Amino acid sequence: MSLNDASLALEGNAGLVRILHGITLDVHRGELVGLVGPSGSGKSSLLMLMGGLERATDGTVQALDHDLGKMDEDQLARLRRDNFGVVFQSFHLIPTMTALENVATPLELAGIRDAKARARAELAAVGLADRAGHYPSQLSGGEQQRVALARAAAPRPAIVLADEPTGNLDSATGAGIIDLLFGLRDRHGATLVLVTHDPEIAARCDRVISLRDGRLEAAA
Amino acid sequence: MSVSVAAKFARRELRGGLRGFRIFLACVILGVAAIAAVGTLRESVRAGLADQGAALLGGDAEIELTYRFADEAERDWMESVADAVSEIADFRSMARTDEGARELTQVKAVDDAYPLVGEVELSPDIGLEAALAGAGDRPGVVMEPLLLKRLGIEVGDTVRLGDRAFRVMAELVREPDPSRAGFGLGPRTIVAREALDGSGLLSEGSLFSSKYRLDLPPGTDLSALQTRAMEELESSGARWTDARNASPRVEEFVTRLGAFLVLVGLSGLAVGGVGISAALRSYLAGKVQVIATLRSIGADQRTIFLTYFFQVGVLAVLGIIGGLILGVGLPIALGPVISARLPVPAVFAAYPAPMIEAALYSVLSVLIFTLWPLARAREVRAAALYREAAGGRHGWPGWRYVAATLGLLGLLLLAAVLFSGNLRLTLWTASGIIGALALLTLAAMAVQRAARLLRPRAAGHPPLGWALGAIGGPGTTAGPVMLSLGLGLSVLAAVGQIDGNLRQAIAGDLPERAPSFFFVDLQKDQMPWFLDRLDGDPAVSRVDNAPMLRGIIARINDRPARDVAPGHWVVEGDRAVSYAEDLPERTTLVAGDWWDDDYAGPPQLSFAAEEAREMGIGIGDDVTVNILGRDITAPITSLREVDFSSVGMGFVLLMNPSAVEDAPHTFIATVYADTEAAEEAILRDVTDRYPNVTAINVRDALSRVTDLLASLASATSWGAAVTLLTGFLVLIGAAAADARARTYEAAILKTLGATRAQILSSIAQRSLILGVAAGAVALAAGIGGGWAVSRFIMDTPYAVIWPSALAIVAGGVVVTLLAGLAFAWRPLRASPARILRAQE
Repeated sequence: MSLNDASLALEGNAGLVRILHGITLDVHRGELVGLVGPSGSGKSSLLMLMGGLERATDGTVQALDHDLGKMDEDQLARLRRDNFGVVFQSFHLIPTMTALENVATPLELAGIRDAKARARAELAAVGLADRAGHYPSQLSGGEQQRVALARAAAPRPAIVLADEPTGNLDSATGAGIIDLLFGLRDRHGATLVLVTHDPEIAARCDRVISLRDGRLEAAA
Repeated sequence: MSVSVAAKFARRELRGGLRGFRIFLACVILGVAAIAAVGTLRESVRAGLADQGAALLGGDAEIELTYRFADEAERDWMESVADAVSEIADFRSMARTDEGARELTQVKAVDDAYPLVGEVELSPDIGLEAALAGAGDRPGVVMEPLLLKRLGIEVGDTVRLGDRAFRVMAELVREPDPSRAGFGLGPRTIVAREALDGSGLLSEGSLFSSKYRLDLPPGTDLSALQTRAMEELESSGARWTDARNASPRVEEFVTRLGAFLVLVGLSGLAVGGVGISAALRSYLAGKVQVIATLRSIGADQRTIFLTYFFQVGVLAVLGIIGGLILGVGLPIALGPVISARLPVPAVFAAYPAPMIEAALYSVLSVLIFTLWPLARAREVRAAALYREAAGGRHGWPGWRYVAATLGLLGLLLLAAVLFSGNLRLTLWTASGIIGALALLTLAAMAVQRAARLLRPRAAGHPPLGWALGAIGGPGTTAGPVMLSLGLGLSVLAAVGQIDGNLRQAIAGDLPERAPSFFFVDLQKDQMPWFLDRLDGDPAVSRVDNAPMLRGIIARINDRPARDVAPGHWVVEGDRAVSYAEDLPERTTLVAGDWWDDDYAGPPQLSFAAEEAREMGIGIGDDVTVNILGRDITAPITSLREVDFSSVGMGFVLLMNPSAVEDAPHTFIATVYADTEAAEEAILRDVTDRYPNVTAINVRDALSRVTDLLASLASATSWGAAVTLLTGFLVLIGAAAADARARTYEAAILKTLGATRAQILSSIAQRSLILGVAAGAVALAAGIGGGWAVSRFIMDTPYAVIWPSALAIVAGGVVVTLLAGLAFAWRPLRASPARILRAQE
């Protein structure tokens, strides 16, 4: 993945807000990158830019040899379907679907025949085999995030983007989620970009990129 | 906690504006407006009838006689009590042109005093006296434009009535005394009474009524005068009407139609209630955190209940005021347009009665539909601040609220019965609405369950799977969507089925068995030629004829007939009476004995069996019939089966010949011809030879009945359309409330790789599934309702009218689809990152 002088400005209530300024960086295949920085520094926005969920207002974002800026909404969606897994701080499970259906959704989108069986296996891998028929509102925060992890891992994506996956969880549950996330990455060899506030988690990454006021601060 | 604290909380919450309550308000406004508009229209016509009573009647009072004019003594009495008397004769006749056109017309033969009240409007405006005086050696007539058009003639042309030629002097734009407002078989002709001398019309035994309009001195006690008139004219079979109630049948018709339309309007209020309930639930769902916070700082359940009850109250009052302004204002604003289309006068104004009626209905409906959501809001606990499950109970709200809801429902029904004055119709309508709501609720539950069961099978079709998930999963709007749309469609489908079946009964089945023509006013000496002409016609399959007199059943067993069988159609007005030596063909005697050949003893009467049973009379009862002012009393000696449904000849009253054959009378004949060409030839030959004979084309008469039914169905459809409009509003409300959830869902799906086409397809499939399900229930409810009304109320055979039913269902599906797609643009356009971030 390669960003070249990428910027992001969004229209807010108070006018145009510049969120990211001239970001240039490369993330290599199989690399585990930690994104750190204070609140409002643009970590999540950078992650969204990498996943094609936001469009760079200047510069280019390239992923897996695709120039994301030149792709339309549906082309970006298909790219994500085939290559990306995304995990959010607020889980973002579909409330009208059961845990199993949530995990099966990306597999169904990819047209995989045994989507349900594979989703069931993914749920078992995160320890939720017995919660498959539950709706998100019937699950605890930790359980919901495990379902989100299973959903992200199910299509075996080349790139996993995780936006503070432990931010809404207590420390013990959070630690369990990170172990699961790293375990999935180790098993499937995916590239993982992880936004975190936690120095201990950052320390487990291959490389840590620090952001401040929308600019790259340092790489360690 | 006190009521004032709750009121304070309510005021603070309402400070934020009415956002979230638009559908609530719209539902109340529409429901109130529909009922208030129907009521205002009804009261306006009533006021118009009261205001114009004398003009409609043509005088302060009217005395009507059947088939004869008043004798000298009767005329003297009328002139002794009135300042002025006007005599008119009203009858049907054939208008003919020299070019061979002939049309049925309702003739009003007037004297110089006509009209006593009001003005006749003519075009050109030459005045009635000048018009009837005619031009040259020909007397004049004025005719309704429709009649001139049918005859293919214009003002200035010649037209024949009976044996005389007249000149058409003007078009009749408006007569002040239409007298038969609503339904007549032929358009009107006005002619001077003396001009008919020598025309062969109004001869002895012919069918006409004479009417004497009285211009009474100011301050006359109408009630006392009516009593005196009935004493003076007791034996003459005279009928009295006065300006107090000039058009009793029109008023009754308007009252009944109004009651029916208000009941249809109640279904709109029920649909609106579903919307009100859904809107309140959605609003309260967004208030769980606020309620939990209030609870955490000490608010008790009663305070919470009252806080939101007051808000509902304020909104209901606003909605009712808005609805009344719309429902009363619209008929007043459109008064001139509506008046022009009404066959009766109307005085458009704001009447308190319909406003009170509409407000009462809506207050009760709002209470019925908001009590349960409010009861659930009071169950929200402070723990909801950190735990979702504490956000209020689902399901049964507690027995007190169930009892209160049932009590309010009872009050609503009681009010509907009192206002409509028709217990049976109200209970039928209420059962229909409640039944349809129950059916739709069950259907909505079934659809949700089916969606959950089918969801796993849709694995290969992600958009269908998401659609099924949205229908069967938490937060589904399947309930309100199906209830609102389904009830609106059910009402419309039922109206379509009832209307279609009635039309089919009249226009479809009957003409196969019905005669082509009724010929009336055939004189005895005209019968041989008439029968000979038809006997020789191979296209004529059957001819029935009988002597006919008209009589009024005055007394039964020496008691006034109207006291013996109050309200029965046989004793209301005059009836055809015939006589026969032998039992007529196709007639079955079910009781008693037919009189012997050449019987010449005291009068005997054979009565229609079904009508006798309904009136509670039978063999041996004495019936007094007034024929042309003469009372004939005869015992019922036999009962016959008479089938009135085939529109053929059927007499309730048949007497032995010697009882009535000396009275002046004419003959009636029914002719069954096979082709229209043969019908035209018969009509031409008979009316050319005997201009006094009137031919009534059964097909034309049936088409008039069908037209009348069409206008009734159209009025009912307007009522049902309001229900559907309310349903559509609720649908829009549900779609709008759902849009946020769908946008969020679409953002996640886009993140997971779904394309916009897939998301659009999912939204469309969801709408289609709900639309088809609601439509299917409406189809069943409409067919069920149509069958029940046809079977139990109209007493007509029932067959499903598929085109109407399927069109309504298809319309419903399209509407749901449009409502769903109208709210699809946001989920499709939204940037997933921003939507998801907003949820963080």
